Amino acid sequence: MKNISTASKILSALVFVSMLVALGAVFLYVPMEKVMGDTQRIFYFHVPAAISAFVCFFLVFLGSVQYLRTRETRWDRLALCSAELGVMFGLIVLITGPLWAKPIWGVYWRWEPRLTSMLITFTIYVAYLMIRTHGTRSGQAPRLAAVLGIVAFANVPLVYYSVDLWAAEQQLHPPRNVGLAPEMRYTLWICFAAYALLLVQLLLRRLDLARVEEAVERLRQRRDELADY
Amino acid sequence: MAFFSLLVLLVFNFSFELGGAALHEIGPGVLWSSFVFASLLGLSRSFADERENHSLDALLMAPGDRSAIYLGKMLGNLLFLLAVELISLPFFTLFFNLSPGWFLLPLLGVFFLGSACLSAAGTLFAAMSSNMRLRELLLPLLLLPMILPALISCVEATGLVLDNKWGEALYPHLKMLAVYATVFIALSLMLFEYAVEE
Repeated sequence: MKNISTASKILSALVFVSMLVALGAVFLYVPMEKVMGDTQRIFYFHVPAAISAFVCFFLVFLGSVQYLRTRETRWDRLALCSAELGVMFGLIVLITGPLWAKPIWGVYWRWEPRLTSMLITFTIYVAYLMIRTHGTRSGQAPRLAAVLGIVAFANVPLVYYSVDLWAAEQQLHPPRNVGLAPEMRYTLWICFAAYALLLVQLLLRRLDLARVEEAVERLRQRRDELADY
Repeated sequence: MAFFSLLVLLVFNFSFELGGAALHEIGPGVLWSSFVFASLLGLSRSFADERENHSLDALLMAPGDRSAIYLGKMLGNLLFLLAVELISLPFFTLFFNLSPGWFLLPLLGVFFLGSACLSAAGTLFAAMSSNMRLRELLLPLLLLPMILPALISCVEATGLVLDNKWGEALYPHLKMLAVYATVFIALSLMLFEYAVEE
């Protein structure tokens, strides 16, 4: 097995440096928010994590469509690895959100549209991963998962629309187009960049791992075939 | 299936002490929970016979578009679900002291759209899970999170009808259900072929 490539090492270093810069910007550079105080600083991690989660869910969709079209394993690998990362970023969103909400709203959780939609979307992709790991025999797994990956992504706008209808009167989540001071905007962009690098690096490493897993699986099958003789 | 949904109604009745003022609060939720659980039973049965007798293979070998199989199964599930709902409705009104009346008529429209959503998504997932290990466990795991957007609107619309309010407020929920059913039927027609392929 080849060693970790130079490109990957450089990318790791970039992720490390950008995360340090992001932390510095969030805790040292950006001014204190007037009403919420220090609590508001969690926003710089919460929002990039949410965007990253949806980028991952889109990659699941892309991988699924391409797999059904071409039947190439690499697309299935992309869908699986993105789904895992999407669930991880979703978890970050669902953890940082309540941490912010406790001091601001007085409770960790409210059945508010944005929170509810994120939770439902998150459960859909957890179900996707459970089906992949527990439900399927090796031959059919990528095909069924691809169908599910497409349906799951198509469901996301429906979730948002219906939850908005359901709880339209209790919109408490800060709106997307909130006015930010220039320093806050720069900090947010730095955090976006750091998260984007983290996403790319984690995805590439996970794809490498998936390739190794497949190679091991092939070797195991070969061994079983030889044992039959 | 119908008997099962009655049992679910009974269980909810004892867990929540329904009736009276509570009815309008949780009645629609109770009703739709019982329908969803009943539909899970029906959906897994709808492919069980095909699997046990290996008759799905024969269906797949038949010339013609495979989405026709989906459409047939989906309509079958829809009819069964509607039958269950029509049987449960009198018991629901009886158990929860609801005075029957013509105002219940729009409820049939909500039932139809909601059942269309349930069977559109449910038939696709039932076909997928029929080949899996642990299929009885995995079908609810797949269907429940996916059906939530439709379920929210079903419960809201049913609540509005029970409160004798229709028109402006009801319309967006019906539209939501129609969109959900259309999206899932269209997706399933495209993807069913991949879901059952051997």
